[in-house]
Amino acid sequence: MDSQSYLPVPPGVGMEENFLSLDDILLSHERLPSRTECLFPRLGFLEKSTDSQDIQEGTKMELPLWLAKGLYERKRRVVSIELPKVYREGWRTVFNADPTVVDLHKMGPYYYGLGSQMLHFDSPENPEIAQALLQTFIGRFRRTMDSSQNVYNEDTSALVDRLDCLERVLFKMGQRGLNSFQGWEKGRASHLTASTLVLNYRKRKMTDLQA
Amino acid sequence: MFCEKSIELIRELQRISDGQLPAFNEDGIRQVLEEMKALYEQNQSDVNEAKGEGRSDLIPSIKLRHCCLLRNQRCVTAYLYDRLLRIRALRWEYGSVLPPNIRFHMCSEELQWFNQYKKSLANFMRSVGGEEGLDITQDMKPPKSLYIEVRCLKDHGEFEIDDGTIILLKKNSQHFLPRWKCEQLIRQGVLEHVMS
Amino acid sequence: MSAALSDEGSDQNDSQEDVMTPVELIAKLEEAWLNEKFSPDLLENKSEVVECVMEQLTHMEANLQRVRKGDMKASLHRMEIDRIRFVLSSYLRSRLQKIEKFFPHVLEKEESRADGDPSYLSPEEYAFAREYLANTETYLKAVALRHMPPNLQTVALVKAVPEPCLDSFVFLRVKERQDNVMVEPETDDQREYVVDLEEGSQHLMRYRTIAPLVSTGAVHLI
Repeated sequence: MDSQSYLPVPPGVGMEENFLSLDDILLSHERLPSRTECLFPRLGFLEKSTDSQDIQEGTKMELPLWLAKGLYERKRRVVSIELPKVYREGWRTVFNADPTVVDLHKMGPYYYGLGSQMLHFDSPENPEIAQALLQTFIGRFRRTMDSSQNVYNEDTSALVDRLDCLERVLFKMGQRGLNSFQGWEKGRASHLTASTLVLNYRKRKMTDLQA
Repeated sequence: MFCEKSIELIRELQRISDGQLPAFNEDGIRQVLEEMKALYEQNQSDVNEAKGEGRSDLIPSIKLRHCCLLRNQRCVTAYLYDRLLRIRALRWEYGSVLPPNIRFHMCSEELQWFNQYKKSLANFMRSVGGEEGLDITQDMKPPKSLYIEVRCLKDHGEFEIDDGTIILLKKNSQHFLPRWKCEQLIRQGVLEHVMS
Repeated sequence: MSAALSDEGSDQNDSQEDVMTPVELIAKLEEAWLNEKFSPDLLENKSEVVECVMEQLTHMEANLQRVRKGDMKASLHRMEIDRIRFVLSSYLRSRLQKIEKFFPHVLEKEESRADGDPSYLSPEEYAFAREYLANTETYLKAVALRHMPPNLQTVALVKAVPEPCLDSFVFLRVKERQDNVMVEPETDDQREYVVDLEEGSQHLMRYRTIAPLVSTGAVHLI
């Protein structure tokens, strides 16, 4: 449809990040368990647990993904990054048994996104992680697609609750398709409507006035 | 941690995901720029020391600050760019004149960008050919009929149709009008398309 | 979609060397429109089609003025004009949307094009894209970048703005039979293979695989 005029920059595909994508920026703010492998002089104030002027070697910290990626080097290791629990073997087995029962929103919400990003750090487990991501997605996709194509004019929150961000986007796309199709079947495709953006602005103005 | 202010800018936009434009966060931008200045100055002095006094142990910290500088630059750029995409949408949904309450949310450079965008688009549409060019912000949906039934949702005053006839758009009045003349007023919520 | 064109527009093509009937013209416009709508990348511009359709519309409008008011024929023609105008607007809109979405890449591609290669942008679109780039760069610089440390005052938009995703899947219908189209493997344990595309058959494939066929008109996106 031509009708939506705000077209945000989409997130990158696979291991790529899009520089200007808000989703990717938020994804790269996810924190990873890490350990410093050298001294970081004069940055002690970043680490609340110490009074020292420096961050000592061997300090355990939670680093945002963007910083972990920026500091990570294969040759000269200044930090080591641990795999978050959901991507470790224990959880991989659980996902493998039945991917449809896990609450990926609670475990994510960027389960696939962060998982793909973890492949940037050369872990020997990378092939297994990639495989687990793919299998989990395949295992859940059918249900996501079916529900998004069949629930019409109903509350979808229970269906969406346990979906990862990527799955939610897919679900929404399916719903949009379903709604346009139903609209077309009812002969409403040529119905001219007010811009949702305009209507939402008006709503906001009203609440502003009431506040 | 560094860069907390800049992620706040991003969250601010993400919270309003339908494309509405929140007020320009001048203060937030200023705080990020200040943090960048401090990071840069600290790095300058550490770089000099690392070079001059052979303090290569300072390098990891320099690198960390540099990552933060890049991160801040990315967040600010993405914040501004996403706002442009929202401002662009306004041209297509509202037309070339924006209501004051929306203009109020834009900084002066954004207004300049909007005006230039408006001009570029108008030039483009004029250059397509024909006497007056082609207004491609109209005809957003395929036409089914020439005339449509519309109800007036608010007083809009006089309105000229193709053949020069002038009608009065009064609140709650109902009219049978050429579809392509009404499209923008419907989008703006002045008229409502009544389906039989 | 061509009734009004064929009976009113018959004197149109006399002076043109490239003879195209109004029916053919509208078919060309529709093809360009659907291809552009469904392709993830910006296609070559079809300025000549756009120009001809604009002329046709002006001509039809003029004819309409001569028809008596209230004539049944008049509203049929009016409807015809509206429909053609919709397709043309929608076509130009999807192009402009992609130009805005990918402007640094679109410009780079256009400016590095060899002499004699078909241009992707019409002169008007090129002007628009240049202005869009300049306007956006000026804005980013004025609001924030010029206040940043010296080594961070530029952002390479060609790196920052995402490129069109040529790996997207598209639906297509084959107009001219194609033999031995090479398809890249989808998984590690697959190898590349070739398919024949029968005339009239429909397929779902990666855009990258069939992009050259869209450009020659051998397949249509649907």
